[in-house]
Amino acid sequence: MGVPVSQMWTVASYVIGQKLRGRKQYPVVLMLEPLFRCNLACAGCGKIQYPAHILKTDLTPEQCFAAVEECGAPLVSIPGGEPLMHPQIAEIVEGLVARKKYVYLCTNGLLLKEKIDQFKPSKYFSFVVHMDGQREHHDFAVCREGTYDKAVDGIREALQRGFRLTTNTTLFDGADAKSVREFFDDMMELGVEGMMLSPGYTYDKAPDQDHFLSKKKTRRLFRQILSNRREKWCFNMSPLFLEYLMGRREYRCTPWGMPTYNIFGWQKPCYLLQDGYADTFEELLRDTNWERYGTESGNPKCANCMVHSGYEASAVNDTFGSLGGFAATVRATLFDKYPDPDVDDDTPMAPRRSSGPLVQIGAAPDA
Amino acid sequence: MSIPDSLPKAAPHDLENAPGTLHENLEGWVPPLATEEEIRTAFEKAFDYRGDLTVTLKNGQKIEGYIFDRNNDGPTLRDCMLRVMPKDRADKIKIPYSEIAALAFTGKDTAAGKSFAAWVKRYWEKKAAGENNIGIESDALEED
Repeated sequence: MGVPVSQMWTVASYVIGQKLRGRKQYPVVLMLEPLFRCNLACAGCGKIQYPAHILKTDLTPEQCFAAVEECGAPLVSIPGGEPLMHPQIAEIVEGLVARKKYVYLCTNGLLLKEKIDQFKPSKYFSFVVHMDGQREHHDFAVCREGTYDKAVDGIREALQRGFRLTTNTTLFDGADAKSVREFFDDMMELGVEGMMLSPGYTYDKAPDQDHFLSKKKTRRLFRQILSNRREKWCFNMSPLFLEYLMGRREYRCTPWGMPTYNIFGWQKPCYLLQDGYADTFEELLRDTNWERYGTESGNPKCANCMVHSGYEASAVNDTFGSLGGFAATVRATLFDKYPDPDVDDDTPMAPRRSSGPLVQIGAAPDA
Repeated sequence: MSIPDSLPKAAPHDLENAPGTLHENLEGWVPPLATEEEIRTAFEKAFDYRGDLTVTLKNGQKIEGYIFDRNNDGPTLRDCMLRVMPKDRADKIKIPYSEIAALAFTGKDTAAGKSFAAWVKRYWEKKAAGENNIGIESDALEED
């Protein structure tokens, strides 16, 4: 299993087409948030803290289709909120698949078994189940016991029915590298197509501001996790973006590469910062003062961000932007083990200076 | 977006720990709107607030809703505006700052108290009480 060749070809030909047209700012993935409601209340999430009348508001299928047409990105990611709580989510997915968009529906998995009959397997459609690590780590990260087991049940059901499925993992300050590597083994043994990773960062809408990673810690953690990779691991991400997370290369933020649309409109400037809204995608590109964002801008709100929504499109652009970028991608794909004798992958790596205590279910906190 | 002067310029490659944003407790606040600076500051905070506010217009009309956008960069207050999703209808309203007489943070701050530390504390309290299947439930969707 793996990402279908047709999807790779679609993305490659799209990006090359944008470059031939001389477009400097083009979207690769549309982040389509059809609702903000969720059936979890994770402390690390800043996406769901709204008054009830906002949480009860959904994008209609027609609004979703219009946004997708307007944006033109070949990939559509549907986060939220919990998209499976949207009463017309199956209609939305079906409509996007009919438009030959590659759709990633992000879910915590709690409703997967219950709602799966509404969906049909397709090479254009993949579930992305949010899994923050092994059972105890995941349940603690999402602030509810039992969540991991329900999500795994959903994963098994979806895979058994022939759906494409990847996992998505956010790693916070204090993450245990050894446990994360074992978690990768667990997920690949379940039979998932691939895995996605993201460092948690202190975007200012997140109610918790104490358990995110600095850039320095992100690089240290991802080097620990992604060096000496095991044969069976498969990541559904740009290999150059993974190198960026490991600190092997540097990129500038390109937030227009993964624009966000939700009930308020086109979100400025990116998926995590909410600095206002544009009514059209063209207005978003034209009126956003992009120089104010990204780590390199000096904006403290962007200081610690190494998130996919800012930097994975930069990596994709690098792949198709030069012969060197393309060669680096080929090299990263063919030689993806990243041997590093300085990294001991058999022992847990204690965070050198966690800004908060590492707390896991089953072990009493020190304080 | 204006970057607060009080925040240090980022030195991201050197930081061991990531400083976060300090969220103020603004629920119930009625900001003074006497000067242009007070108005701009209050409306920026209103934009950041994760609850409903009540906007009183100079014609006496009151609008209760969520402020999801603002333009705070205009040269005059007539050029600046709030964008509100009212509580009682599915709509988006633009209001120039110059038409606003008063502002009140009347709705519940939906982000308040939702820290990881609060979850850890709650978890251990419930564990000590012998509970199982511990978790944080999503907020109910009844209106305040």
